[in-house]
This record gives sequence, C-alpha cells and structure tokens, in this order.
Amino acid sequence: MIQIRNVSKSYGRKRALKDINLSLPHGEIVGLFGENGAGKTTLMKCILGFVSYTGEITLDSEPITPKNISRISFATSEHSFFPNLTAQAHKEFYSEHFPRFSEKRFRGLMDFFGLPMHEPIRGFSTGQKNQFEVILSLCQGADYILMDEPFVGNDVFNREDFYKVMMGILEPTETVLLSTHLIEEVSSLVGRAVLIRQGRIVGDVYVSELEDSGRDLMSYIKETYHYRADRVSKAIDELTGEE
Amino acid sequence: MRIDLSRHVPPGFDLWYELRFFAAGMTLAASWSLSFLYRFVSALWALYGYRGIERYLLPGAVMPDFHTLLGNALTGFLILAIWWIAAFVPAHYAHHVVGSKSIYLMRRLPNRWELHRRCWTLPLSVVLLCLIVAAILLLTYYGIYMAATPEECLTPHQWQKIWSVLP
Repeated sequence: MIQIRNVSKSYGRKRALKDINLSLPHGEIVGLFGENGAGKTTLMKCILGFVSYTGEITLDSEPITPKNISRISFATSEHSFFPNLTAQAHKEFYSEHFPRFSEKRFRGLMDFFGLPMHEPIRGFSTGQKNQFEVILSLCQGADYILMDEPFVGNDVFNREDFYKVMMGILEPTETVLLSTHLIEEVSSLVGRAVLIRQGRIVGDVYVSELEDSGRDLMSYIKETYHYRADRVSKAIDELTGEE
Repeated sequence: MRIDLSRHVPPGFDLWYELRFFAAGMTLAASWSLSFLYRFVSALWALYGYRGIERYLLPGAVMPDFHTLLGNALTGFLILAIWWIAAFVPAHYAHHVVGSKSIYLMRRLPNRWELHRRCWTLPLSVVLLCLIVAAILLLTYYGIYMAATPEECLTPHQWQKIWSVLP
C-alpha cells in the first residue's frame, strides 16, 4: 500500500499541495481528478521522489528509495522514453534495469497497437508516443502504475481500445493511479475517484458507493466542485444581451 | 573484449558526434605538441657550427633545459580535458530533458547511479586518455631530448627540473 501522510509541497510562495492524506491499496484503479494546476502532477512527483516535500510517503510501510522504486512505474504526457531509441532498445533497457519487466506483455501490447519495434520513437505520431509511454509503464512489472494525463493527443477510439486492453491485462494486485481530465470516459474504468482542488483533497469516493446512492461520478464531481450549471447560460446572456 | 560505448553515454545520445569531437580534439592537441620538436631541433642545430660542410660542436654550447623546450607543448591536452568536462557533462544531463523527460525514467531506476554513470563515464575517460597520451608524449619527448642531445651539452637533473616548474 502507498500511504501518503500530511504531505505538503510549495513552489516558492505557492502552496501546490496542502496536507494531503491518501492511501492506495493493492488492486485498485483510482482516478485522480482536478482542474489544471490543482496539484495532480505534483502529487505524483512527490510519490516518485522527483520533488522535495514535507510529510511522509511510504510503500508497504517503507520509505520510497531506489530499493523499492521499481515497484512504481510512471507514464506521463511529457513522455519519459528516449526519443532516439527504438522500441527494441527500450525493451532491452527496461529488461536490464527492471527485473520484473514483462517481455510477454510488451510484445503483446506492441502487436496490438501495431507499433514498430525497430524505428526510433521520435518518428512516432503523438498518439503512438502516448501508447508507447503507457505500454512501458504497464510492462515494467510495477505494483503501482502512476499515469499522468497519458492520453493527451489520442483519438477517442484509440483511448477506448486502451482502456479495454488495460482492464483486460491488469493483475488483481496491480494498482493504477490515473490522472486525467477525461472523467466521463474513465468513469467505467476507475473504481475510486480522488478529487483534488487547489492542492487539497476535496473528495475521495468509491464508484460503487456512488452507484448505491443512485449518483454517477460526473454529478459527484460537479457537486463537490460546487459547479454552477447556470454559469454558461448566464455568460451567454451577458455576452449576447443588449446594453 | 569489445566495449559497447553506447552503454556508457545517455541512451540515444549521438556517440559518433562525441567521438568525432574527440578525434578532432586529440589530433589538434597532438599536433600542437609537435611544437616541442620544432623548438628542440632548432636548439640542437644552434649547438653546432659549420666549416664548409663539416659540422662541429660549438665550444661551451649548452642545450636549453628540457622543460624550457617543452614549453606549452602539452597544454592542448589540458584544454581538451577541461573543455570536455565543461561541455559534455552538462550536455549529457541536458539530453535527458530535451525531446522528452527521460530524466523521469533515469531518476526512478533501481540503480541510483546509472544517470550519473552515463553522464560522467565518457568525459572522465577522455580526461584519463588525455593524461595518458600527454604522459606518453612527455616520456617520448624526454627520451628524444636525452638521446639526441650531445652529452657534453646537457645540464644535470633534467627530469627533476620538469617538476620544479610545478608550484
């Protein structure tokens, strides 16, 4: 379990995260939702130790260090692959550094998405680059897979394919923390939704609980964010109304 | 045993680009070191006088010290080594944030030194090679100096005098 206790992070004067408390047990697909700048990426970077923070983050009660970091993988819309290397070279690099790298899963996903093994990644389309980034994170052999806006630039069919494949291949012990703006698309994929706003967690709910209470994820998010449904019509009225 | 150099630079870094720089730098530094031979041969000729076509050693002629003739002949290797560290170590680190953020991958490898190993190995090897080549040339030039200079023109303690120029 990844346990996040009282984590805060500031960039200069700006507080990016404020007293975050969150636990990510085995086998969950957790959606991390929030507007731009809410702190989603910063939270993931804290988990991975890319940025300094106050508070405590542990993985099965141990601090996250090079000793256990291979249990966490990361897919980001910024991409973390090597653009000049081929998929084959990435496979070799990952196999060398991550003992639990799954070649079988890698080959299967590369075949499924029809990605070339022997072309440098820099020649891929944006969608293919995203696919490759996610493939690497799924094949690393990690127990916790962090995904930060992994599908930016992919078309809807492509994304749907990915969701289906992901649901099909994930082991019961694998946990996914998926940060995305595509809430409606992933609502059938995630089992739990964590809402973050201005660096604070403002909602944490299991989708099954919502369903039991007759609500859906989107309405829960709107409710939590105090979304004003009339703001669009008001704005249009103001913009089109006569002086 | 064949060494795969690409394993010692950042993944995807253009190794041949770096090796071409290295070859050019070494050629320049080695060429510059030949200035010793020019100074040495000039000094050697100055020890002699000529009667017609007959050459004779000038009475009381003294060969300038080895370190004087060496001058800055090996400075090219020092410049090359310093330049390599100053230019390529930052370039290697920057490689991980240009085009993608592969720094995210390198920083979460179980081997925490892999990023630094790949950024520093080749530059440090170049520094080492510069030192080795400079040492070999120093010994070679010293050997030439001692072998080709008439014994009566040599002043003693030439080897010690080399190090006396060091602070």
